Amino acid sequence: MASTPATMAPAERQRRLELRELLNAKYQFIDRTWDAVFWITAIFIVAGAADITKLLFAGDWDFWTDWKDPQWWPVVTAFATIIIPSALQWIQWVAWRFPTGATYTCTCLFLATWIGRYFQWHIAETYPMNFVWPISTVPAAIILDWLLMRTRSFVVTSLFGGAIWAIMVWSFNYIPLAPFLQPVPFMHHIMTVSDVQGIAYIRSQTPEYLRHIERGALRSFLGETQYVSLLFGGTMAMIGYWVGQAIGRFLAVWPIGRYIKTL
Amino acid sequence: MRMRLAMVLSIAILISSYATRALAHGEAADEPFLKDLTVAYYDVHVTPTQVKVGDPVTITGSVKILETWPYTLDPPQTAYITPVVPGPCFALTERLINGESSPGSIFVDKGGIYQFKMVMLARNPGHWHVHPGIAIQGTGTLLGPGEWVTVDPSGQPFKLDVTLLNGKTVDLEHFGGAFVWWWSLAGFIIGLIWMLYWTVPKRTVTRLAVTMQLPVNDDAPDIGLITPRDHMWMDLLAGITVLMLIVGWVYMAAKYPVRLPQQTVRFAPDPISPGDGLIAVHPKGSTFDEKTDTLVINFQVKNNGASPVSLKQYIMAMTTFVDGDKQEMAAAGPSEYVGQLAVDPDGPIAPGASRDITLKMTNEVFLQERLIPLHDPQQLIAGLLRFQDAQGKENLVTLKSVLVPTEFQPQYLP
Repeated sequence: MASTPATMAPAERQRRLELRELLNAKYQFIDRTWDAVFWITAIFIVAGAADITKLLFAGDWDFWTDWKDPQWWPVVTAFATIIIPSALQWIQWVAWRFPTGATYTCTCLFLATWIGRYFQWHIAETYPMNFVWPISTVPAAIILDWLLMRTRSFVVTSLFGGAIWAIMVWSFNYIPLAPFLQPVPFMHHIMTVSDVQGIAYIRSQTPEYLRHIERGALRSFLGETQYVSLLFGGTMAMIGYWVGQAIGRFLAVWPIGRYIKTL
Repeated sequence: MRMRLAMVLSIAILISSYATRALAHGEAADEPFLKDLTVAYYDVHVTPTQVKVGDPVTITGSVKILETWPYTLDPPQTAYITPVVPGPCFALTERLINGESSPGSIFVDKGGIYQFKMVMLARNPGHWHVHPGIAIQGTGTLLGPGEWVTVDPSGQPFKLDVTLLNGKTVDLEHFGGAFVWWWSLAGFIIGLIWMLYWTVPKRTVTRLAVTMQLPVNDDAPDIGLITPRDHMWMDLLAGITVLMLIVGWVYMAAKYPVRLPQQTVRFAPDPISPGDGLIAVHPKGSTFDEKTDTLVINFQVKNNGASPVSLKQYIMAMTTFVDGDKQEMAAAGPSEYVGQLAVDPDGPIAPGASRDITLKMTNEVFLQERLIPLHDPQQLIAGLLRFQDAQGKENLVTLKSVLVPTEFQPQYLP
């Protein structure tokens, strides 16, 4: 926590005034073009890292509507999607004091996944977009960045932010999923629209039994599978947050610092 | 440099111009034991083979999970019978297994026979290789014989209408898609405003000179890193995000008040008998001549039943070899996977009689589909002998046999 200017020693006050001037200094060679170059080129790296992490840990859960189930989807996606936003949150906060790491990652991921789904899965593979739409993590990222800005603490952000992340990712994407959870009679059974999509749009190498529907015994919690999963998803997101912090601190920033010291 | 670039581009264009489109499924890539010892398909038919977009195509047939299931694989327990086609060029609308409607997976056993009927609607114009397949948990998808189906455009876009429980009919090709997009885009726009707020009016790279000199939890409002004004605008954007979520949730709850969790249907289909079990067979070895594509199988058979029986077919993996005329061969399955069977000695086997029989089959399909284990750790084949009595009653008997190639071809690679 910073001291207020009134309680600061004169030397410290002077130093901070110099820092203020430094912040607003005009540089001859490092102009706004460099900022633009950085932000734009980083889109591809950040989107790639976030997408690969999501594909590794969440895979099919983010691909098909019939995989977006009440039990595993809130757990798996919460963990998989918070890792890289957390890493970028560390980097952008430490380097520029921007509460933008999560939002930047998730907006980049949004662009990458929608472009990928549209061109690869809809145009090339001809699956309908309403079957292969990606989840959006942007609103959860906004809240995560807001939390860091307000608390200035990665510990507090992980504790509250992890739980909020799991709830936000699930609840924001449950809204567009709702039409696909309507009951429909199909093949003499009652199914959801998403189940019918999964059966009708043939995935020869993704047989139905690969889905994790009704595995485990979560229904023993008064049938409230969804809420138990969300609770667990929040815990997993907290862990994922610190996995991301480790990536940000030790794989991204620390080697750069080491390099700078050698110059 | 330009020359090199031009050369690389020219080579790339040359290679890509020769690349042909993959229309089948690489079924020959599976190892022989995965096909021979696991399942056998018979009576498979895909009809019709010339349709327009929106027209139905039906796949019928049977698959038996053989008692010779390899001990190197997990035992078969859960399976999913599915059309195997290149992506969603068809849309599945009905699936019956042993007469029961089966939207999901089934429980299976070794020795089980599964009769299937799958109805699909042609969705994408093209020339498609259509197979039945049985995906078995722990093993993968095992293919049946394929048939080429030509789908012509119909002049109308494909529609897949389903009627919801509330009576409303929706087209699954587009249902809900626009809402997904606009909803996700709205969230993205808030994120974009958040990013523009920080990156456009503020400088980025040069802030490092300041932040390096401050503790990590110091947002330095007095210096101007994060100001009270920033807090106000970010509070507003975060508030709009939460408000959007609440409004969306209320809208969703009002518009779609009835929602189910995803459903899964699994059951063990009623068993189908392979016959009365009164025919006993004993293998006496088999050979394969790679030069002539000829498979010879020797075995002894004893008819313990009360009526004479004749051997009609030998079924191995996705192929069927028929001791019969062209009509019987056409009825046995897709022509690319059906061959002539020579039975020696031929003719009915009397009740109580034993007979040594030699089967001879010459067909390119053995090597094309990679059915014969020639360089594998175990040289074994298995298949179904299909016997029939005068009344048409059938017996399916599994025969597993050691295979000895007549000679091994020289090879340069291991």
